[in-house]
Amino acid sequence: MRVSPRWPSFDPVTPHTASDAPGLPHPELVAAIPRLRRYARVLTGDATRSDDLVQDTLARAWEKRRLWRSGSDLRAWLFTIMHNVHVNQLALARRDAANVSIDADPGNPAWQLPVRSEALDRLELLELVEHIGRLSPDQREVLLLAAVEELRYDEIAGVLSVPIGTVMSRLSRARGKLRQMLAEPAAALRVVK
Amino acid sequence: MSAPAPSPIPDADVHAYVDGQLASARVAAFEAALASDAELAARVAGMRALNAALRDALDPVLAEPIPARLLAAASAPDRHAAGVRRWIVPAFAAAATLLVGVGLGWFGRDALIEHSGTPTTFARQAAFAHALYAADVNRPVEVWANEEKRLVTWLTKRLGFAVHAPDLNGVGYALVGGRLVAGNEQPTALFMYENADKQRLSLQVRRQPSGTGETAFRYAVENGVGVFYWIDDACGYAISGSVDRAQLLRISQVVYGQLAAAEAAVAK
Repeated sequence: MRVSPRWPSFDPVTPHTASDAPGLPHPELVAAIPRLRRYARVLTGDATRSDDLVQDTLARAWEKRRLWRSGSDLRAWLFTIMHNVHVNQLALARRDAANVSIDADPGNPAWQLPVRSEALDRLELLELVEHIGRLSPDQREVLLLAAVEELRYDEIAGVLSVPIGTVMSRLSRARGKLRQMLAEPAAALRVVK
Repeated sequence: MSAPAPSPIPDADVHAYVDGQLASARVAAFEAALASDAELAARVAGMRALNAALRDALDPVLAEPIPARLLAAASAPDRHAAGVRRWIVPAFAAAATLLVGVGLGWFGRDALIEHSGTPTTFARQAAFAHALYAADVNRPVEVWANEEKRLVTWLTKRLGFAVHAPDLNGVGYALVGGRLVAGNEQPTALFMYENADKQRLSLQVRRQPSGTGETAFRYAVENGVGVFYWIDDACGYAISGSVDRAQLLRISQVVYGQLAAAEAAVAK
């Protein structure tokens, strides 16, 4: 067995060692990238912008690595950074173009989760992705973190800097709305008849 | 005097139950209500189905290859190493493109896995095997730790390469024993460990199908079982357990260190 992969130190307590080669991707950060990308897609609804967001988040994580409490969940910490970076970018965009703020609109029609459609072999999944886009950004975020990423509610409250009661009410509304939307086609058929 | 009417279930409890986060003290009462309340049961079933559908819809994103610029962003920023990074990152990016199919394949489930003719990937299999055997109080293993030597000889013979059970006493886990588990193409060795609280962990080792390369340590959660896994020198390793990620990571580091040390000793 070769002595790789190794563990470059992300831990602020441990000083850099010779084996902590600069320029090598950090394995734990690399492992977190797919989930960061998914979170970013759900936030932005745009493949390119979401990768920009992931890139900014990773850069920020390196800058702020001293603030990471070693041993705590790196993923939740990265989600927190990403949420904050995103919120700041939205605020800047809104300031720059006061009357154009598509991102802040709930149910932004431009939002789409660019999952390659061939990866979604079931029609109801395509439909579901569409419905997710019609949730408000707040609801999407909580739903992803709770139902898909399986973060604890208190962790989600920490990521979003909101009280846990807010997490619960957003989650409840998100699920309620999705249930309603999934029940809609039947209603539409009745109208046609 | 009549019994007090059961208090209505708070909405937050329904969500917490569906997400597996309801405080354990309240689970029994919730499940009692579930058994007698068909409407509640239907609601819970609907919410569970929605959770599963959300994962199925959003998991394919995880299986996409990681762009090189993001790998670069995951590297320690070091102005002096810019020259080094210029060639390391593209090399790593090329490797990572190969690896996502292996390391993250289980995320893509239907998309990636069925095409390669593999029913499930290593992490998923490891989680399932762990859940199956760790829950078996009386017979979690085929051969018990008091016959460790026989166990190791047997597994080495069946796997076709030298395996041994790392010593996890230092992190509070004692060897329970081991067994052979069916894998996709290759048999898998499973070593079971247990701590003082009767919490169990398993280390699974198998020969990887050729051409899978190496992966960095990866983490996955499948049905509440956390799995740290990595592929090294054509062997796949997975540590599974229902413990938190940080603890599992620490244990994985110990296991990895011991395996590397054992390998180095053999090479001498």
